[in-house]
Amino acid sequence: MNDSPRDALILGGNRIPFARSGGPYAGISNQDLLTASLDGLVARYGLQGEKLGEIAGGAVLKLARDLNLTRESALSTPLDPRTPAIDMSKACATGLETVVHISNRIRLQQIDSGIAAGVDSASDSPIEVTPALRRILHRAFAAKTPMQRLKALSAIRPADLAPVPPRNGEPRTGLSMGEHMALTAAEWGITRQAQDELALASHQKLAAAYDDGFFDDLVTGYRGLARDQNLRPDSTLEKLGGLKPVFGVKSPQVTEPSMTAGNSTPLSDGASSVLLGSAEWAQQHGLTPLARVVDARTAAVDFAHGAEGLLMAPAYAVPELLDANGLELQDLDLYEIHEAFASTVLAHLAAWESEEFCRDRLGRDRALGQIDRSRLNVAGSSLAAGHPFAATGGRLVATLAKLLHQRAQETGEVQRGLISVCAAAGQGTVALLESV
Amino acid sequence: MSTRSTTGHDPAAQSGSSPSTSAAEERLHDLSDVPSFPAVYAAALDPRSRRSPKGEPVLPRLAYRVRKVRIDAERARDFDHLMGGPATDLVHPGVLHVLAFPISLSLMARRDFPFPLLGLVHLRNQVLQHRPVRVGELVDVECRVRDLQPHRKGRTFEAVATILSEDGEIIATDVSTYLVRGPGSTAEDGGSRRREFEPPRPTGRWALPADTGRRYGTVSGDVNPIHLSALSAKAFGFPRAIAHGMYTASRAFTESRIDLSRPLRWDVSFDAPVTLPGTVLVAYEDDPDSGAVRCVGWRPGRGEKGPRRCFEVEVTVLDR
Repeated sequence: MNDSPRDALILGGNRIPFARSGGPYAGISNQDLLTASLDGLVARYGLQGEKLGEIAGGAVLKLARDLNLTRESALSTPLDPRTPAIDMSKACATGLETVVHISNRIRLQQIDSGIAAGVDSASDSPIEVTPALRRILHRAFAAKTPMQRLKALSAIRPADLAPVPPRNGEPRTGLSMGEHMALTAAEWGITRQAQDELALASHQKLAAAYDDGFFDDLVTGYRGLARDQNLRPDSTLEKLGGLKPVFGVKSPQVTEPSMTAGNSTPLSDGASSVLLGSAEWAQQHGLTPLARVVDARTAAVDFAHGAEGLLMAPAYAVPELLDANGLELQDLDLYEIHEAFASTVLAHLAAWESEEFCRDRLGRDRALGQIDRSRLNVAGSSLAAGHPFAATGGRLVATLAKLLHQRAQETGEVQRGLISVCAAAGQGTVALLESV
Repeated sequence: MSTRSTTGHDPAAQSGSSPSTSAAEERLHDLSDVPSFPAVYAAALDPRSRRSPKGEPVLPRLAYRVRKVRIDAERARDFDHLMGGPATDLVHPGVLHVLAFPISLSLMARRDFPFPLLGLVHLRNQVLQHRPVRVGELVDVECRVRDLQPHRKGRTFEAVATILSEDGEIIATDVSTYLVRGPGSTAEDGGSRRREFEPPRPTGRWALPADTGRRYGTVSGDVNPIHLSALSAKAFGFPRAIAHGMYTASRAFTESRIDLSRPLRWDVSFDAPVTLPGTVLVAYEDDPDSGAVRCVGWRPGRGEKGPRRCFEVEVTVLDR
């Protein structure tokens, strides 16, 4: 139930085009990307010199020196330098969590306006030293005499010197995210054909949205890139069908590996930001609200011992969100289900259609049922756009808010939309938006 | 190579390129590309380039122009990062300065230029930018020298770089004032006498490592030996390497956090050199009425030596 003192309204968004890792944003830092996204938002909504209530942002792959990444980025924009900022982190759900955080603050009247943002650069991910070398160096720094320092340093072995790139996988299972998803896909019998069709649709819908000018007031070019680099408008089922499976190939329980580079998101670089405010603040600044953040839920699953698939937490969070707001799954007008992998989306839909899953796992009388697939990810999603982890939430929220607003204007009826984002470590965040 | 006659215009004019008549016709000389710094410095060091001016020195009535120079995105990024700022698509005006600098230098390295290139002292720099420049943009760059004036320590002149869009619109002008040491003039030249310096309360401290000049040299291309190492600086009469003035000025510009999308003015005056490695204290002051941000940087006093002002920077947004 939404009985909060007042609404938190989504007033607009801005992101930079997403690039593939090692592409045009190579050599560009998280702070550069986030600043570019914020700069564009400030320019679009005339926020120069404006003191906002708070900016929440974050990155998943984050350098140790970037502890105040959001604040440092904000200080380089024309915003009032007295605008506070907070860094947040929850793997791929970071971006959506920043929106929930800012909207909660606005609803509780702690702030009147804010920006929710996220950024990631797989091209500039932190590379660390080995734990052994780190401990030796700390001992050496703490040494009081040159002899002690020398003794500490003499413990270094050649193997200690190898650089340590970020871990690509779950620390508890040793499996990568894709390998985890392959297990879930096999369990739900998600076919290669269905995954490739979803991937193709994502590219076609994103390309169509760009062609229609839908992103003209949502995206600002950066570093010579005007559209998402990963977008392949001319992709075909034949091309996608020709790609070799890359995930699940080492898992005995996956008899027919089906997850390819075409139906999985690539490592990406990018940043997004969303402007939120109260109704009064929006009016004072002459801004047209697009949608309100109605509610949000989170869930986590125990994937570590195989009780549930790593990326299936939103399958649990969504029914909770719907119940809390007295809605059926079919009451929603639009669905934005983050395409971490095509099979992630399809496994969620299959779970909600399954009497068994909904009864045994969710403890419900019956299945949530099917959704109208023509209302799913209608402007394309992560498979086409790419997925700079913490930037995806802001992309989803700004896209859905604008879609809901447009449809409400066309139909004259309130439009509701769902956002569902899965995250590493078996977590998920989901949110309900409504047109205003 | 083409040469055309043109009537000079005032590059510091606020807008447009309306010509004004001048005494002598200025020749415009098109260079095929931006010259390289090492070549210019090598030419300047050539003993044949030593001049022994007879009578009153005269500045050449000549402009160098390079057309369609691309603002390199990677260079702009490296420049932004070196200054501690984010890599923006709108170019730091310091990038325009280093883009034009070798063109001005090659003009000043000509045999008919009346002063030796090495030994010029950069006193002031004034940039007027009418509109932002984006990375990847093509611009024309024109450089000329003008306004020879007496100074109590010798003479001053201005090296003026004009950045134009392809259709001839003036985007920015960059005026560098140089001192040529020599017999001073007794003529009153107002304001150039060393002013009393009472350091304000510092708001920041720059710890500049010994490689500061080499790092700026890498992104700017300016490999003047006095900036690179103590040894190469000694060869030119400096006890230690000194930081590029435009490094300190550009860093102060970045931290002024000015909105690069607006027309702006960036004024710099240099006093004592910043020796490397070294520490500079800085104090920022925002003027909410004029929208100006001012920064002064100085060497802290030590023992008998009092603090010495090194630079003053003022950045102003013009379309408030």
